[in-house]
This record gives sequence, structure tokens and C-alpha cells, in this order.
Amino acid sequence: MKNIGSKFLALLISIVIAAILVAGCGGSTKSTAEKRDYFKVGVITSLSGAEAYGGNVTRRGYELWAETVNKKGGIKLGEKSYQVKLIFADDQSDPNAGADAAQRMITSEKVDFILGPYTSGVTMAVAPILEKYKVPMITGSAESPLIWKQKFKYTFGTIPAVDLTGSQPLATLAKEVGSKPASIAILGVNDPFSKATAEAFKAAAEKEGIKVLKYDIVPAGTDFNPLISAIKGLNPDVLAVGGHEKEHMEIIKASKSLGFMPKVFLMHYGITTPDFIKNLGKNSDYVMGATTWTPDLNYKDAVFGSTKKYVEAAKIRYGSMPDYTEAACAATGQIFTAALAKIKAIPPLNEEQREKLVKALEEVKIDSTLYGPIKFATDGAWYHNNTGLKALTIQIMQGNQIIVGPKQVKLKDPVYPVPPMSSR
Amino acid sequence: MELIIQTLVNGLLIGGIFIMIAVGFTLAFGVMDIIDFAVGEWVMLGAFAAYWLQTLVHVDPLLFFPVIMLTFGAAAYVFQPVLQSVINIKHRSAALMALAFTFGLSTFFRGAALTLWGFNNRNIVTFLSDQSINILGITLPALRVAATVFAVIITIGFMVFLNKTKTGVAIRAAAENKTIAGLMGIDGQKVARTVYAIYAALTSLAGVFIGSIFSVNPDMGLRYTAFAFFVVVAGGMGSFAGAIAAAILLGLIASFVSVYVGGAYIFLILFLFLYFVLLFFSKGILGKGL
Repeated sequence: MKNIGSKFLALLISIVIAAILVAGCGGSTKSTAEKRDYFKVGVITSLSGAEAYGGNVTRRGYELWAETVNKKGGIKLGEKSYQVKLIFADDQSDPNAGADAAQRMITSEKVDFILGPYTSGVTMAVAPILEKYKVPMITGSAESPLIWKQKFKYTFGTIPAVDLTGSQPLATLAKEVGSKPASIAILGVNDPFSKATAEAFKAAAEKEGIKVLKYDIVPAGTDFNPLISAIKGLNPDVLAVGGHEKEHMEIIKASKSLGFMPKVFLMHYGITTPDFIKNLGKNSDYVMGATTWTPDLNYKDAVFGSTKKYVEAAKIRYGSMPDYTEAACAATGQIFTAALAKIKAIPPLNEEQREKLVKALEEVKIDSTLYGPIKFATDGAWYHNNTGLKALTIQIMQGNQIIVGPKQVKLKDPVYPVPPMSSR
Repeated sequence: MELIIQTLVNGLLIGGIFIMIAVGFTLAFGVMDIIDFAVGEWVMLGAFAAYWLQTLVHVDPLLFFPVIMLTFGAAAYVFQPVLQSVINIKHRSAALMALAFTFGLSTFFRGAALTLWGFNNRNIVTFLSDQSINILGITLPALRVAATVFAVIITIGFMVFLNKTKTGVAIRAAAENKTIAGLMGIDGQKVARTVYAIYAALTSLAGVFIGSIFSVNPDMGLRYTAFAFFVVVAGGMGSFAGAIAAAILLGLIASFVSVYVGGAYIFLILFLFLYFVLLFFSKGILGKGL
């Protein structure tokens, strides 16, 4: 009897697991009819795995755009408006899974265009698939310059590459504080984005004459304690880190527990996310970073009204302040809208129309979105990247991201050297 | 010189956390023949338990670790017969069945955590979080010291338990030879359940410490599964002492490589080391494994 009981339990558990797995796959696999009167938009991003947090930041941006557009009736082309339907695919934070998701999106879901991944690694794996099937994609998040160097015809990006923005905080430190930092230690996590960030920091430090005492690229999931111990011995003025919010949190915690306090921490990306500030509390204060956008900016916007109104809408919808990646994702859909209006293509899009759409994306210039002006470069090393935005230096102050550079736009003076964590 | 000692200390302190995972993992393998692929997820669930204790009950999770250990132990004790019935399926390799089943379990735990608790990275603050001890220029983070002290106490307690108590002797007998132990009147099923409960309790405790030192998210477990495999293979499958030695070695290698060779080479050197261990010491670094 006992044995039967446990077998039954095993069966029950496997059924539950199967049910959850099936539910988790989501999305409809119904083959679409030739005719439909809405746009089917694929979203490929990290909804599980190591970068699930950032992936959901991008999801929020795309989702809020679609919801807002639909509430207003949809994308207006000529006389008629078309609703937007987002189809989500989880890349599991894994480039291979991302490529598979792209394949499925295109061949079985037959999406019209794609809103792209959170990470640069996945973006680079998805891009070749899009070249093959000729489906355009704009990523509202990926920042690695390596994407644009490969000159993918069908891939575009809303946020300027990190080699255009990452140098700004060091320029601020070198030129706009009382006594310029003399030395820096740089850590980067080993993924295409974080590595590029570390490289950008290194290049900027060398340009500004700040001595690089240590430069190390480390695998994701490393225990930072030994590295921080070694850096503590070198006593740099600045510790700069290329990575995501989780690594930044762990580095701040490790530094505090080892009693290491440089004159300033410089970290990119993730210090602008609510999790970073919420989890670290006072310890997140004075961390410096780079961005292209803060909620304080005020641009006009065709969908939301303005940056301010967008920020309010996002806060109501998700309960936290959007950061620049979330904002860029929310603005990304508008570029497609503008390009679609230009070619007057109604759904579903065929290959010829998608070709025209790519051409239109290259030509479209939007002077103002909630995220700022958008215009994709059509040649050079940043091919198809929105390079026009100015990089800003930010510093966390009392839990808010404050623009502290460059001089012309700063809201407050940068704090340097910052007060040690133990005395806040 | 200070840096060498600091690096050594860092390695030993992270090794202490690995010991906590390795001890239970090795024991479960020895008694039940299972290689639990879900070990990292037990760590993750332990960390989440601590997080929810802190957030919902507003107590310091580190002070309430016995509650967490007992809960996990009890849950595992109840759940073990399910696992056992999978292992006992006739004409199948027990180890393989367990591996496949726990692989599924690990996916399930991770998916369930992501669905239930969401994607946020979370932070656990304990009374030791911001503390550190300074001795002659060497900094010892209090949380890591506590974790290592715990690991040592637990290991010693365990040795006493295995050698001096009746249940302990029964566990050792079952680990040595199940058939003969059964003939001597040892209830193999009960021993297996006890061992699985101890294993889950220990691993959840490791989760409390790991969650406090690093951060908590549904995906945090995978790397500890990899570390547990490393420790058990390098230590010699089923060898208790070997696992402890390997856990310390793992901590030391990671620490010294990241300081003196470069962070980029940590995994390369770790797995190169594992490769040579398997090649030349197939019974583990102490030569005591299977």
C-alpha cells in the first residue's frame, strides 16, 4: 500500500511538473491565417536564466508601448488603425536558445518584425537568423559595439553603444572634480556587453591620463572577494566595473565586508535599476555610472505625451521608476510605427514589404521620443545604432539618479571623493 | 605578504561554504546512490526561505537557521519515498534514474521560484552582514567566518553522530553494504530518509549563508550544482574526508587564481585540475573514493 501511495505521489508530481512546463511555454502555436488586421510583433528577451531581471526590464518597456498604442486604437496607417499583438519568446539568457526562439518566431509565428533582446550576447546570436529570413529587429537594450561592427542589415539598436557612452563618467572625473583621480582598477564580466564596457573604461582612463592599476575580465558568477582583496592592496582611486546589477551589488557588498573603499565606484549597467538601489540602500549612494537618459529629462512623445507622462504611466503600471533601458524599449516601437507609416504597409508584411521597412528604418528620423531623438547610423563602425544621443554621467544620491556631467547639463556637482560607506 | 595571507584566508572561508554543501551531497550519494542534480536548487530554496523570513516575519534569518533547517529536513523526509520509488524501478540503473529525476526536479524548482517569486535580485541583511574582523591587516568578513565556523562544527558533529550513535552506525553500515546491513536488521528505507533529510537541511543552511553573502534569485543554484559535482568528483565519489579536502582546495584554487593569475582563468584552471585528478587519481585526491 505504501509503495502504491508513493508511486501515486510521483505520478501526481510529474503531472504538475508537466502542466507547469506546458503552461510556461505559452504563446499560441496556431498557424496564422493569411489575412489578419493586426501587427504581430515578436519580442525575444531574457525572461528566465541569469539575466531574467534585465530581460523583464525590457519586457516592461515593450509591453507598455504596445498597451498604450492599443488603448489609443493601434498603429494608424492611412484611414485604418491596426492593433499590436506582442508574442513573447524567452531566450533563457542563452544565445543558443535566443537563436532558436528567433527561428520559431519567424517560421511558425510569422511575426512582422521583432523587438530585440536584453543582452548583447543574445542579440548577436539572433541577428544572423534575421539576415537569413529577412525580418527586421530593433533592440531597445543591447549596448555592445561588436553588434554594429558586424553590419547586420536587419538589426537596429536604440541605445548608443557603450564605447560611445562609457567614457563620459571618466571624462567628468578627469575634468570636473577638484582633484582628478590618479589611478583606476577595472573589472569586467565576461560577456560581450560587460567586456566592451570594461574596454571603454580602460580606453577612457588611458586617454584622460588615469593610471590603470588592474584590468581583469572575470567569468560570470565569480566570487569577488579575492579580487577585491587584491584591488584593496593596489589602493586605486576609482574601481570601475562593467557588468549587470547583480554583480555590482555583490561587489559593493564584498567591498564593504573587506573594508575597501575607493574614492568612487563607477559601474555600468544596472545601477539605474530599482533593484540595485533598493537592495543596497545607503550603500548604493554615490556610485557613479553612465546613461543616455534619466527620468528628469523632458522630451515630447507621440505615444505617451512626454517623458514625464511616460514615467508616471510606467510607475503606475509596474510600481517602480523606469530606467534608461526600460525607457529606450518603450520608445523603440515608435520607430517601427514611423517607418510603417512611411511605407504604408498593412499587416501581415511580406518579404518585399519587410525589405522596404528596413530601408524606411534607415531613413526615418524622429526628433523627439520619450527617450530622445532617434536616427540610425547608416555607415561606419556603429552601423544601424542610434548614435545621436549625448552620454551623461550620473551619480546615485539619496537613492535617486542625478546627472552630474557633462557641465552644460548637470543638475548637481559630482561628489568626489565620496564619503565612506561606514560613515553614511 | 599580507596579500598572500588574505588570499589564503579568502580561499579557506569560501571553502567552508562549499564544505557545507559537499558533506550532505557526499552522504546522499554514499547511502542512496543518488547524484542529486537539484543540489543547487536546495541552496536557492534555502536562500529564499531566509529572504522570506526576513521580509515577512521581520526576523534575522541567521538567528532562525534551525527553523529553516528543520523545515527543509522535514520536507525532504516526507518527499524521500517519491525519490526512492523512482530509484527502485526494476531493471533500471538507480544512479541514472536518480540523475534524470533530480534534473527534472531542479528545472521544476527553478521554474516554480521564477513563477512564484519573480525575477528580482534580492538581498538578505543579517546582523553579521556589515561586520568584519581585522587581525594584523587581514580582513575577515564576519558572515564568511560564521559560515566556515558552522561548517566545521557541523562536520565535527556529524563525525560524532556517524561514529557514536546507533543511527549513525546504521547509516555507515548502509553506506558500506545495503544488502548485509538489511540482513542485520537495519531498515534501509528509514536510513535513506534520514540521510536525505540531513542532506536537505545542511544544503538549505548553506543557502542561507550564500544568499546573505551574495544575492538571492531563482537562478543562483546552478553554479553550486557545478561546484558540488566538482567537490565530489575531485574528492572521490562517496568519500567524506575527500569531499572536505576538495571543498577547501576548490576555495583556495579559485582565490589564488583570481588574485595571482587573473579572474579569466578561474574556471579553466579549476576544470584542468579536475581533469588531472580524474586522470591520475581516479579515486579522488585522498584516494578514498569509489
